[in-house]
Amino acid sequence: MTPPFRTTLWRVMGLQVVALVLLWLLQSRYSS
Amino acid sequence: MHWINWLIVAVYLVVVVFDGLRRTRGTTNIEGYFLANRSLPWWAVGLSVMATQLSAVTLIGTTGQGATDGLKFVQFYFGLPIAMVILGVTLVPFLHGAKVYTAYEYLERRFDPKTRSLTSLLFLLSRGMSCGTIIAAPSVVLSSIFGWDLLWCVALIGVPTVIYTVLGGVQAVAWADVKQMFVIAFALLAIVVVLIVRMPVPLDDALHIAGAAGRLQVFDFSFDLSKTYTFWSGILGGTFLMLSYFGTDQSQVQRYLAAKSVDEARSSLLMSAYWKIPLQALILLTGVLVFLFYLFQPAPLLYNPRHDAQVAQQDPTVYADLQARYGSAIAIRQAAARAASDAQRAGDDAAIGAALGTFKTSEAAVTAVRTEALAAAERVTGEASRDVNYIIPRFVLDHLPLGFAGVFLAAVLAAAMSSIAAELNSLSTATVVDFYQRWVKPTASDAHYLNVSKMATALWGVFACIVATYAATLGSLIEVVNRFGSFFYGSILGIFLLAMIPRVRALGAFIGLLSGMGAVAAVAIGVPSVSFLWHNLIGAAVVVAVGYVLSLGAAPAAQRS
Repeated sequence: MTPPFRTTLWRVMGLQVVALVLLWLLQSRYSS
Repeated sequence: MHWINWLIVAVYLVVVVFDGLRRTRGTTNIEGYFLANRSLPWWAVGLSVMATQLSAVTLIGTTGQGATDGLKFVQFYFGLPIAMVILGVTLVPFLHGAKVYTAYEYLERRFDPKTRSLTSLLFLLSRGMSCGTIIAAPSVVLSSIFGWDLLWCVALIGVPTVIYTVLGGVQAVAWADVKQMFVIAFALLAIVVVLIVRMPVPLDDALHIAGAAGRLQVFDFSFDLSKTYTFWSGILGGTFLMLSYFGTDQSQVQRYLAAKSVDEARSSLLMSAYWKIPLQALILLTGVLVFLFYLFQPAPLLYNPRHDAQVAQQDPTVYADLQARYGSAIAIRQAAARAASDAQRAGDDAAIGAALGTFKTSEAAVTAVRTEALAAAERVTGEASRDVNYIIPRFVLDHLPLGFAGVFLAAVLAAAMSSIAAELNSLSTATVVDFYQRWVKPTASDAHYLNVSKMATALWGVFACIVATYAATLGSLIEVVNRFGSFFYGSILGIFLLAMIPRVRALGAFIGLLSGMGAVAAVAIGVPSVSFLWHNLIGAAVVVAVGYVLSLGAAPAAQRS
């Protein structure tokens, strides 16, 4: 069954935020 | 290439075409052919959208870009989730509820036939050309890598795609996309696993080295209009580009019009947003890992084997000199990379700093020799010599275990075919619905329109293959065509934004559309330093402003039913 739009929305936004945070951590740790 | 690899490729092609032929059962009328009778489940639509997005240019070009420039390209996609949310709330329910076949069909209801026709024509022009370049880019790479005639490479990609798209319509396209995503994901995973397993230094050390080489710099917060990839150009310019592409480009709209319901249409769109940023980051990271791999293995001077052979043959003295200098430069860089890794292990901050400094210097020296080599290649061949697209294919062919090269080649074909198929289907839809049915033959049987649709798909397929054959010989035409498209996207988005403002009238919209394109052309020619990502915002803004202002003072026209 398709999840409600709002549920999908929260999941999508959450995943993007997680991805951005991980990229930020990657940059902070390894970029010089 | 070993015969097992070819067998894998052949099996893939047979499965995809056979599956397309199987799907013809569901396509007895144009609603089935173009919209799958609006019966596709949301996850299939979502995977299909992702596969369409992941063209061969992404698979080989973006990975290559990760190797040469690092992760900053991911900023290009920061506007995507924002755009998806806006579309999910506004345009998607609007268009799905309007029960249209094309996004432009709606424009006639809202404005007038000429606005619909012009917008659809702009779509046909830009998509038709870009379809050719999507075939051309991987064809050129395959032609250079395997030494085949370009025409055969174009045919290898174009012919099976046209067959399953013509015969099976959007059902075949969408279900082929689902399979193709799995092939692509498997190929990428295989590459990453091999790279990590065969990295001669610990991954943590290797990533520090990549960081020193600037490959892990993701965010650029400078507000510099001339830089293509910054946080701001991604968030602002990118949002408008994604709004236009996903909201108004028929190749994407057709996919969510094919969903069972509005909610499923929204969900499928969001599914594309789900994985876009992480997926692009992973693809770029794959390129970074390949860069790291080549720090510890002999790296080719020129990744394009055809260019490499031509320079060696036609200018052997220069070639020998470049090879000698390159050899010693990469040896110094390798030693510096190992020293940096050892210093990391020892945990001595001062030594780490010094080692990474030495590494940066040696990396710059290697880049300098490569730049000279690329200039020599350009001089000798008379072609653009940027070989970013060849880095991953060379790595795959030279270093992946038996069978994986076949999977990767199947993935390249899959990526190209999924993108082309969607575009052919949508080109056919717009041609038949917006032009043939609208202007040539308004009433005819469904069977008649279905046959015309199949013919239109085939003709656009042939057109795309012809464009591909010529595009490949005009190197930078690919770049020109992509920027050509960016002239229109913002303006087309502007038209759809105007459609949502009740006061705006047809004449204002039409003139607004022309003004938007004119403004973008003026900026592109007059201020070429402005990155093309801003063109979308400029186009949309001008269209909306002009269209709205011209409509002021007139009573809003009654909407046609």
